[in-house]
Formats: sequence, structure tokens, C-alpha cells
Amino acid sequence: MPDLHGLIYAYHSSPSLGDLVEPRTSASLPFCSRYRLIDFALSSMTNAGVRDVGVIMQHDYQSLLDHIGSGKDWDLSRLSGGLRLLPPFGMRDSRFGEFRGCLEALAAVKTYIINIKQSHIVLFRGDLAVNIDLKAVFEAHLNSGCAITAVCSENAAKSVGDIFFVRETPDTAKQLLFAAPTGMDALASTEVYIITKDLLIDLIEWSNANNKKHFHRDALSHYLQEGGTIGLYCHRGYISHISTVTDYYNANLDMLNQEYRNDLFSADSPIYTKGRSSVSSYYGEDSSVNNSLVADGCYIEGELTNCVLFRGVRVRKGAKLKNCVIMQDCIVGDSASLSYVISDKYTVFSNGLVLSGSRALPITVPKCRII
Amino acid sequence: MKKECIAMLLAGGQGSRLYALTSRTAKPIIPFGGKYRIIDFPLSNCANCGIDVVGVLTQYQPLQLNSYIGSGQPWDLDIARGGVYILPPYQSAGSKGEWFSGTANAIYQNISFVDMWEPEYVLILSGDHIYKMDYSDMLEQHKAHGADCSIAVIRVPFEDAPRFGIMTTDDEGYIHKFSEKPREPDSDLASMGIYIFTWQKLKHYLIEDEKDPQSEKDFGKNIIPSMLSQGEKLWAYSFEGYWRDVGTIESLWESNMDMLSPTLIDLYDRSWPIRSRSPIRPPHYVGANAAIHHSIITEGCEIYGSVSNSVLSNSVSVGEGTVVNYSILMPGCKIGKNAVIEYTIIGENAVIGDGARVGSPPNGRTDILITTCGPDSIVDENARVEAGAMVY
Repeated sequence: MPDLHGLIYAYHSSPSLGDLVEPRTSASLPFCSRYRLIDFALSSMTNAGVRDVGVIMQHDYQSLLDHIGSGKDWDLSRLSGGLRLLPPFGMRDSRFGEFRGCLEALAAVKTYIINIKQSHIVLFRGDLAVNIDLKAVFEAHLNSGCAITAVCSENAAKSVGDIFFVRETPDTAKQLLFAAPTGMDALASTEVYIITKDLLIDLIEWSNANNKKHFHRDALSHYLQEGGTIGLYCHRGYISHISTVTDYYNANLDMLNQEYRNDLFSADSPIYTKGRSSVSSYYGEDSSVNNSLVADGCYIEGELTNCVLFRGVRVRKGAKLKNCVIMQDCIVGDSASLSYVISDKYTVFSNGLVLSGSRALPITVPKCRII
Repeated sequence: MKKECIAMLLAGGQGSRLYALTSRTAKPIIPFGGKYRIIDFPLSNCANCGIDVVGVLTQYQPLQLNSYIGSGQPWDLDIARGGVYILPPYQSAGSKGEWFSGTANAIYQNISFVDMWEPEYVLILSGDHIYKMDYSDMLEQHKAHGADCSIAVIRVPFEDAPRFGIMTTDDEGYIHKFSEKPREPDSDLASMGIYIFTWQKLKHYLIEDEKDPQSEKDFGKNIIPSMLSQGEKLWAYSFEGYWRDVGTIESLWESNMDMLSPTLIDLYDRSWPIRSRSPIRPPHYVGANAAIHHSIITEGCEIYGSVSNSVLSNSVSVGEGTVVNYSILMPGCKIGKNAVIEYTIIGENAVIGDGARVGSPPNGRTDILITTCGPDSIVDENARVEAGAMVY
């Protein structure tokens, strides 16, 4: 068993996801027909043999709780350790509103961190669609001797403050990272780190003393300025950090690409999710379907082109769906025509309805509507 | 711990008429209807009607069956005060242990298991039937009649009656006569192989039957006739709905085809879910040039060819240019490109090479010849497998 503990940030609801995060946090967003985003963090950890995992949450976590339950689907329901849910703790100085940064979230669970048995901690965002080989990251981390190792990717979205550049070192095991000067095209961090427990506690204490909130911008900059070194692990596979409706739409449609799909749902390191025992999907006599992903329990009598369908969706006769992402148990009525639509769960599209968005601006339909 | 009624599920038979499909696995875990295995039906029925102690009697090729059932979690039977129990034959002091020599003997050897639960009633089920049934309704009838044994029956066409155990009853359902596979049936009520016994009665007859060296130790052949002849109260419980015995290649194929018609059996009905243990696989993918008509497809499949009137279990791949028609593809089987698969059952993880032709349509014949490729079998590129052949 690796000397590694998992911590997942699942408290955040990215405002740019609009209606999609109205009933949930980013980490519990449904993704690719049957998954939730947090499945990637949980499965990456389980696949690396990590068996103690804390999930930091703050509000709107009903759907997340419903999804992860006791953690048994990831084999994290254990007699000792296993999954630990970390909802906010009512402190005297309890703050209202969302944590203003990862560091504030970590500070809120400081007592938990202090009691962690393992000497290393992997910090993982709950809103990434990525399958990271954490066993390899941990090995690189131990070999480099650095107190912190960053998982970087050329494919990660670049946002201010998380850009690194790599300084060549003679020893390849010891590639080091530095904060890149603004404007420089450099490697982006996936914001997945392996850090020693001691350093993490130091950084939390420093941030408390200095009223800092951001792990990357504040704590890591401080750490680098003090002469600290950051090890590097480059993740070569698919990654999407889902923070806007467009990110969400594109990442789902990316899964129609076999290469991306095989990479994210590799047979060697499967992504686990909450089981829902349902029937297989049925295609009717007049159905037509191409380039689409369909989960179990669907009943398809219409046409699908470039679509991602979640479980239990019904597509009635003559309905045409193009470039759509349709979540669990929606019903698309006779001869309805939808294109570039993202529909949340349990929504009903009436017979003959026509609804068209565009690639740049897909239409998002909230949960449980009748349109 | 006391339970009013517990279930004993007979899952130890060889299923020899399924040939290659059961050469290495027990019949109850033959994949069925895309998402399921046969045993999911009785297990889900039990869970749905609140019977929470199920003893599963195993004997033939039990390893995969044991691991499939596991803790019983997929059927919500992993509970602290009850649950699902695998019951293989065992040794005990003073006896060197014996294989189960018949359905009645299997229960006889597990009398102490049943007694652990001090039940009033015992439900006897078998692991090779496809149906949805509320056993609690049958139990209510059993109690109301003060019956010693209730036998679920279904009407079958008179010409099929000679294949079944046939009950002759009065208008109320009181059983006068039982004939095992009669040549000239006088009733069309066939036994479904589902029995509820008042436990103390059954225990008595099991012990008596065991003393008879001539007995085949079988419920249909020995226990039921002997109870009838001694004047015990046997009642028929009449079942209406879908029920199939899937003991042969033909009936397995036909029953899978039935799953394509929700009017026969509604598997989408959420008030009576049939649950299964299924691997977590990504959604199924349908390629740009694929076509799917009147078929069942399960998660993990990758479809690039054309599939119609077929039932595909999880993780099946169908290559480009391939045509699959009136066939059953079990989990993990791989069909290459430009192959033609018709009227065929393909076992788990079998591999069919590019350009192969397997099976053929009946072309006007009345008897349909089903071709079978056993689990892990391999059909070479461009090979021809004739209708009705068996590859293993």
C-alpha cells in the first residue's frame, strides 16, 4: 500500500457552468453517459492503491453524497480509513460564501490533515476529466526527493497563475518547475500535486498567518521564492478541466473520438462509478444512429448523430438529435428536432419541438422541465 | 433467526442440452437478454418481494457462479440478518459426503440450513427460467388454502403439454393428478418448477423419500406424486405472464429474441427491476457507418457494422462491414470486419475473424437451425460455419 493519502476538492461550483451546477457542484456533474466528474479523481486514486481518501465539500453537496455514498463502488468503504467526507465544520470564525481558494479549503480541514497517517498527500481537483497514473506520479515524486511534485500537461487549459516552465537539469529524474514569467508559453499545471504532509501543513500555517488563500498563486510562489523545488510529472493523455458550458460540451463530444475515449477509459485503469442496475438499450425498427455514445436503459426509435446519451433516455419515433448531450431519463417526443442542446436530467421535449443552439453556444436546458 | 419463508434456488444442474455454452460454466449464469444472466431473474424476484434468505445450491462448475453471486450486493441481498448463501455439497461427521443426487436430495442434504431459519414455508426455485413473478402473492394463496404444497402453473398449448409436468385440478385449483410428461395430457396446466412447501411437511417427505432406494430423489418424479398419493393438500397457483425454460440452444435463442418485444416482458418496468452484476464499462459507441435495428445493445460495445434483430451483451465489438442478424452475442466477444453472423449464439470472449460467415437463415425451412460458437472459441478469417454447427 503506498504511503499516500488522497484529498479531493469537491466544494466548487464553477459559475460559468450556469444551470448545470444549479443543483450540484462541478465534481458531481454527469459526464460521458454514465459517470460523474469526481469518478476520475476517485478512480485514479483507487487504481494507484490509495485507500484513504478525504473529499472536501462545502455546499450543494446532496447530489455528490448521493453519488459517492459509502464509497463502495471505488472499494473505499473500509473498516479503517477508506472514504472520509469532509463537509464544512462550524467554526467560530466560519465564513459565509464559497472558499476563496484551495488553500482556504485545505485550512478548513487542517485537523483532518494533521491526523493523516501517511506522509504524502495527493491533492486532486474534482472537476477534471482525466485518468492519471498516480502510481507513476508517486514514484517520480519519491525519486526526485522534492517535497512537492506537480502533474503538468501540454493539454491542460492555461489560466493565469498555473503556468510553469521546466528548467533542464542534468538528472532527468529531477526535472524541476518554476513559475513562468507572464506571457511565456509554458507547461500548465493540472493542479494535481503530490506533496509531503509536513510541507502541506507548513503552507497552510503560513497562509493562515499571512491571510493568503490560493494554493498555487500564493503558497507555491512563496515556496519557490524561499528556494523550494517542485518536481515534475508530465501527463501525456487526455485531460479536460471543466469550468464552462463550452468546456463541458466539448469534453463530452471529445469522447466520440476513439483515441480520447480509450485513453480516459483505459481497460488497465478503469474508471469506476456508482452502479445503476438497468436494462440494456433498445433500438427500434426505424432508428438510425451514427457516431454516438449511448448508456444502458435507453429506448431509441428516432435518429441520433454525434450525440452523448445518458441512462434511460427515450427518443421517440421521428425525433432527430444532432450534436446533443442528453442526461438521464429525458424524453424526446415524436418528431422533435434538437441540435446543439445540453439537457439536464428528467426533462421532457414535447412532440414536434425544434430547438437549435450552435457549437459555440449550445443551449442548456435545466433539470425536470417540460418544454 | 426466524423467517416466515426462505427460498432455495436449485443451481447445480449441468444444463447438458446447452452443450458448449455450459462446458465450463453453470447454466444459471449463462448471459441473457444483454444485461443479465439467467439467475438474475429468480434472485431479483426474491429481492423484489422481500424474501431475504436465498440458499443457492451449487454443484456443477460452480466457480464462476460463486463469484457472480458474491455477497449478493447487486440484488440488495448483502444483509446482516439473512442474505444469499452458496450451498455446495459437504462432508459431515459419520458421512463421507455425497454429490446431490437429485433436486429433492439437494434440499435433503441442506435440511439443517433451512432449519437455521425456522421457516414456516420454503420456496423452491430453479436457476433456468426467465420470468417476473411476485412470490408473496403465491405465498398468500398457499396460506389461504392451508396448502401443504403449492405449485406454480402456466397454461401451455395442448400440443406442447407432453414436454411438461402437467397438473389436473378442479375449478378452484386443487390438484387431483400430476403427470410427468404425459403422452395424452388431460390438462394444459404445466408446472413451472416453482414450489412453496409448508416446511415441516416437506421435511417429512424428504426424509421418507431418502429411505426409498428406488427413488430418483426428484421433486417432480418423487416428492409431488408421493404427497398426492398420501392425500396431502396440493394447490396450483396459476401464473399469467411471460415464463420460459431456457434449457436448450433453441429455447435460449428464442427467449432472447423475445426480449426484443416489450409486450412479452417489460424489462423497463421500474416497479419490478431485474438486477444484475455488471462490469463498469463506458457507454456503447455506435460508429459513423453503423446501423442498428430492432436490437438490444449493452454498455462497453463498439459497433461499426450493421446489427439487426439481435441481442448484444456488454463489451462486444462488431467490425466495419459486418452484418449481424438474429443472433445473440455474449459478453466480450469480438466480431471482425466484413463478417456475416446469422441465427447464431456466440459465447463469451469468442473471436470471429474478418470475412467469416457463421450460420444462415432458415430460408423457408420451418425448423430454425441455430449455430453456436462456445465461450473463448475462435473462428478463423474467411471461415464458413454451417447452420446448426457448434464451434468450441
